[in-house]
Amino acid sequence: MNETVFDVVIVGSGASGGAVAYTLCNAGYKVAVLEKGRLINREEFSKDEIAYARRDIVTPSLFDEYHTIEEKVDGQWIATPTYESGWSFWNGNIVGGSSNFMSGMLHRMHPDDFRLKSKYGAIDGANVADWPISYEDLEPYYAKAEEIIGISGHFEAHPFEPPRSRKNFTQPPTKENMVVKLLDKSCQSLGVKSLVTPRAVLSRDKGDRNACYYSNFCGSYGCSSGAKGSAREALLKPALATGNLTLMSNSYVKKLHAGKKDEVEYAIVIDAITGKEKKVRGRFFVVAAQAHESARLLLNSANRHHPDGLANSSGTLGKNLIFSAGGSGQGELHKDALKEIKFEELMQTGLFVNRSILDWYFIDHWWDGKFKGGLVEFMFEHQNIISRARKNNEEEGKLVWGKALGEKLVKRFTLQKSIRFEIFNDWLPNDNCFVSLDPTYKDKYGMPVGKLRVEGHPHDLKVGNYISKKCVKILEEMGAKNIDASVSAAPPQNLVAGGCRFGTDPSISVLNAECRAHDVKNLYVADASFMPTGGSVPYTWTIYANAFRVADHILKAL
Amino acid sequence: MKRRSFLILGSLIGLSSTIKAKSPDSFGKSFKEVEATIRAVQEHMFPSGTELPSAREMNVTKFLFETISDRTYDKDIRAFVIEGAKELQVREKGRFASMSPREKEKALRRYEESSYGQNWLSRILTLTMEGMFGDPVYGSNVKEYGWKALHAFGGQPRPKNRYIEL
Repeated sequence: MNETVFDVVIVGSGASGGAVAYTLCNAGYKVAVLEKGRLINREEFSKDEIAYARRDIVTPSLFDEYHTIEEKVDGQWIATPTYESGWSFWNGNIVGGSSNFMSGMLHRMHPDDFRLKSKYGAIDGANVADWPISYEDLEPYYAKAEEIIGISGHFEAHPFEPPRSRKNFTQPPTKENMVVKLLDKSCQSLGVKSLVTPRAVLSRDKGDRNACYYSNFCGSYGCSSGAKGSAREALLKPALATGNLTLMSNSYVKKLHAGKKDEVEYAIVIDAITGKEKKVRGRFFVVAAQAHESARLLLNSANRHHPDGLANSSGTLGKNLIFSAGGSGQGELHKDALKEIKFEELMQTGLFVNRSILDWYFIDHWWDGKFKGGLVEFMFEHQNIISRARKNNEEEGKLVWGKALGEKLVKRFTLQKSIRFEIFNDWLPNDNCFVSLDPTYKDKYGMPVGKLRVEGHPHDLKVGNYISKKCVKILEEMGAKNIDASVSAAPPQNLVAGGCRFGTDPSISVLNAECRAHDVKNLYVADASFMPTGGSVPYTWTIYANAFRVADHILKAL
Repeated sequence: MKRRSFLILGSLIGLSSTIKAKSPDSFGKSFKEVEATIRAVQEHMFPSGTELPSAREMNVTKFLFETISDRTYDKDIRAFVIEGAKELQVREKGRFASMSPREKEKALRRYEESSYGQNWLSRILTLTMEGMFGDPVYGSNVKEYGWKALHAFGGQPRPKNRYIEL
């Protein structure tokens, strides 16, 4: 029996894999998507905090699949398996990937993010490089993603807001909690401009996806109305409807086999339920497994033609991994000291804060200097009940229980609400942030796990602290109590990019400007791996946009 | 810090064989040996007459056993829950469950002085809160009393099954 040869085989069903599948299936090509996790449908999602937020159910058990994380201890790099530390680097391993669980606060990168080196110059110890494409190349795809994913928002002119080809968003902003009145006024009195956050959540019905129903539990949970613009809802379902998509869940890809020097022939796939191995053949292959795992798969695919890993003639595969730098802070709005709005309005559940600040995206100040800054998002503290109940239950180093605990919890839940900010600034690529194969540890399928060295650049902390101080002032102006802010050098594991840089020079990059491997003519990498620098915004919109762009290049090659 | 050493450091009795993976049956047996102690700790942390429902009325011990027995629970921490209870039994010469509330408070505060004890108590507190404030589908948070006490309710849709069993 002849084995099926798909036009395109995609490894990973998240944001980028979804965008490629959507485009190619709609153009009539036969596509296979290989996803190691299972399928959870819209009607099967629930707001079960124990299952979704407190156990490894939508991510692999760390005893089965894990990473090793290298950190510097007393001058030595020490690798610790994540099953020892509990520090998971998985982000939603089900059909649709982590896009199922995002909060959906999306931003476009700024045109200057594409030319950071030219604009701001080199920084010692950082491997900053300009992108081989410009914002103008990507803008039509940002617009395409906005429409197809269903990003809601409202455009307001701002010096650091990237230009748009479409005047405003088709979907108006999601409903907002009255706290924005207090936040906007506080920003205004400090001379800061607060903007409406674009959000990958529908405010109006779109096809068979229903508008947001304001469940109060959005981030970390799957969406039960289809409002959230996950790859599963917005891309894979329409792709399946074409009849051209073969969606293979529970399919772990062990290796890509390049029988010839410049061509991948098949993927070696293990059925995660039965353990049975099979080959999935295709004319083109797209790796979209999330940055650190995409590099790992290519490294694990080494063979006699590619002794250092597939598409690694430059030796840069896995290098220049980046995360998002920054930090966060929080303050409590107390019933007895609330300004501008009524306490009942503040306590209304489900509605979004929807505010971001771009004022410090670029800093050019007579005293502070000229440097790249970042974005700030405002939001309520996550409304998970167990995790809120568990917070700060220590007094003078002792756990609080009994009557005192009851009083503390009731007060925390009924007399105040916490508002927080998150800062996103560039994680500068550097020589001590990369993924390689661990020489010792293997996952349950017998494949070497990814070893991640995750050191940040000191400049990142400087920028984060600069912005954090300004955000604390906003919380103070709002009248928040017990304000606490921290800027950390620890990488947020859900915001990862790089490892397969794109560029024009094959000696220092893995992919060309189309995100095709320099070394292998039928291999593309569509996820955030391509990014030489990450901008100072969450990656998701750029991942969607670039994957639509890559899909168009694949269409031309097919 | 490696988790395994984090879980072991500071224990008086050291690590017994329970830390090794065991069949569900033998785990059930190990749990039986410490059940009264764990129940007494939970009831001390969540007594009746506070602004929160009591441990006694919320089936939190059954919840704790069921949730740590589930395959989704970290097996090292599962063993630690048993070990830490044994440690408390040894420290208090098997008397903990029958102590007066005042004696229990003293015993737990003594236990808390070691980082091992603090870790274990924190774990029991967390597991108890998971039951009390998690979805009632897990058998605790009876009649949503936990949510009602905090005026905070889980979102819709609510789970029909535990642990996303489809």
